[in-house]
Amino acid sequence: MNPEFAQIIVAAAVAAIMVLADAVPGLAAQTPLRLGYLDHPGSALCIVAAAHGHFGEEGLRVKLVRFTDSASGLAALETGAIDAGAFSVGTALTEIAHGKQLRIIAGGGTPTASDPLADLDETAQQKLDRAGIVVLVPANRPAAEKGVIIGLTAALIRAHRTLRQQPAPARRATLRKLSHGEAIPDLSFDPNPDYWRMLRIWQGLGLQYAAMPRDFLANHVYEEIYCDALDRQLLGPMDTVLHDLFSKAVCTPNCCPANSGRLFTLQGGSTQ
Amino acid sequence: MRRIIAALLLSTVMASAAVAADLPKLRVGYVPEPAHGLYFVAKEKGYFKEEGVDVELFQFASVSEGMAALKAEKLDVGTFGTTAPLLFISKGSDFTFFGGMMIGGQAIVARPDRLAELAGKDLKVFKGKKIGLVKLSTGDVIFKGALKKAGIDWKKDITFTEFGSAAAVSEAVKKGAVDAGLLWPPHFSLAEKNSGLKVAHYLEEFYPKYTCCRIVAPTARLNADREPYRRFLTALIRAYRFYKTNPEETVQIYTKSLKIDEDIVRNETYVNKVAESNPDPLRKGILDFWQHIRDAGYIPQDYPIDKYINTDIYKQALDAVIKKNPKDKVYQDMLAFYKKHN
Repeated sequence: MNPEFAQIIVAAAVAAIMVLADAVPGLAAQTPLRLGYLDHPGSALCIVAAAHGHFGEEGLRVKLVRFTDSASGLAALETGAIDAGAFSVGTALTEIAHGKQLRIIAGGGTPTASDPLADLDETAQQKLDRAGIVVLVPANRPAAEKGVIIGLTAALIRAHRTLRQQPAPARRATLRKLSHGEAIPDLSFDPNPDYWRMLRIWQGLGLQYAAMPRDFLANHVYEEIYCDALDRQLLGPMDTVLHDLFSKAVCTPNCCPANSGRLFTLQGGSTQ
Repeated sequence: MRRIIAALLLSTVMASAAVAADLPKLRVGYVPEPAHGLYFVAKEKGYFKEEGVDVELFQFASVSEGMAALKAEKLDVGTFGTTAPLLFISKGSDFTFFGGMMIGGQAIVARPDRLAELAGKDLKVFKGKKIGLVKLSTGDVIFKGALKKAGIDWKKDITFTEFGSAAAVSEAVKKGAVDAGLLWPPHFSLAEKNSGLKVAHYLEEFYPKYTCCRIVAPTARLNADREPYRRFLTALIRAYRFYKTNPEETVQIYTKSLKIDEDIVRNETYVNKVAESNPDPLRKGILDFWQHIRDAGYIPQDYPIDKYINTDIYKQALDAVIKKNPKDKVYQDMLAFYKKHN
């Protein structure tokens, strides 16, 4: 996309900013992180994180920027008009394969089939997977900003927990806001960027070209950020939602005498 | 006369520096575990220099930071466990296993009042128990592998509870949140010393000679010039001989270099012989480890890991050392071990 055109789209989108910042003392002076999101129920983790103060809990001031299609959102991400964005995984992976310098740091909502036999239809399943949401940042962000990206991911993990723990009517109300009156699709939320799921979609789209290095996709899925963000949750109370996330995450185990984490237990609380 | 001696000394020093400067360099990353001490023996005894390689050691506080440095090619060699390199390779990173640093080393700890019910050589004693562990740690992978080999369906019969660190596992065992915990050096010794826990079993009892920390290199670098890597392994083979034949001095070197309690190093290395510092690549062990990771369901797709293991460089290094020392028992034992495990 023409960068100028992308900027015009972003300017229009900025006008539609929904939620500005978390009301946390000390964050007012901070330059807000501009988080784009696709106007789709699959982006709910971003909305929930803002509405429930999870960005502030991670020390971030975040400005949400709405986009009506993923392509323009990804273009805005590339030009630096936004700092991070939650967009369709199929579009994002295609853009990455075409050379866009982006890294996936978290997952979001993925449509699921209401028909229990639908997952036998591989083509239909792949279509649903591609419509899921992932959160991305530019690949060239300075290392100094790693803490901010971890904080952003940690806030999305908190949002996932909030969404999962909401009573069904409240959850439906959250998703309805992003459905614009249309029927709320069945969605499965998971903040894990999950390299192996990305690989399935990547292979399904035929994006691994012969000349690409074997680790091309792995270099664009920043699982280390997710693992660090998940580790942060060890500092708080444990519950079944976090337990599920820990059980599914494939993170490099830590090893060393200096390493000391908090007790991870369903009974809750740390003893250190 | 004094001037002549001084000039001679100066020229000798300069010549040594020039030789060191000309040696091929290897930047080697490691994490501070007791069994990683062969690097320091080789360094302290001058084996690296004698073999013609200039090794610079870099300690990392975490495996993930070390792997990131290796991937960015800021290191030529990495010693960051077995799991981490396997995960990276399975995602397409081009690393090659070419040596080893530690075999064994994992322990099951329990409160003293629970030891009796966990006694014996039959893994069935763990049925119905809740075991604390750090997911994907060597203890996690190997214990589940041992259970499978013993015909125990751990997914059905045992509850595993995952913790974020070894310290958290110790704490959970101490508090009775779990029946036992899987720990690695020096954490089980620290748990005994600081938390009053006891080692119920070493995993070696159930699963002999399993792989722990492996030595890996970026494949392109390794293949571009294997000679520095061969020299590096030669020095480690000589360091292994020193470790086998000079226990007390080795303890001192390990303690000083890794800043771990001397008693812990001595007990783990020579008294209880929990782990062995051994440079053998242990190809079969790596393949078994990969299979256990797959069996545990951590990685959904298989990968041709065997293509990323090079045993030739180690064998060449070992053969050369044996050629110079044909009657040395330690080296002969290393050869027999190599033949069995590769």
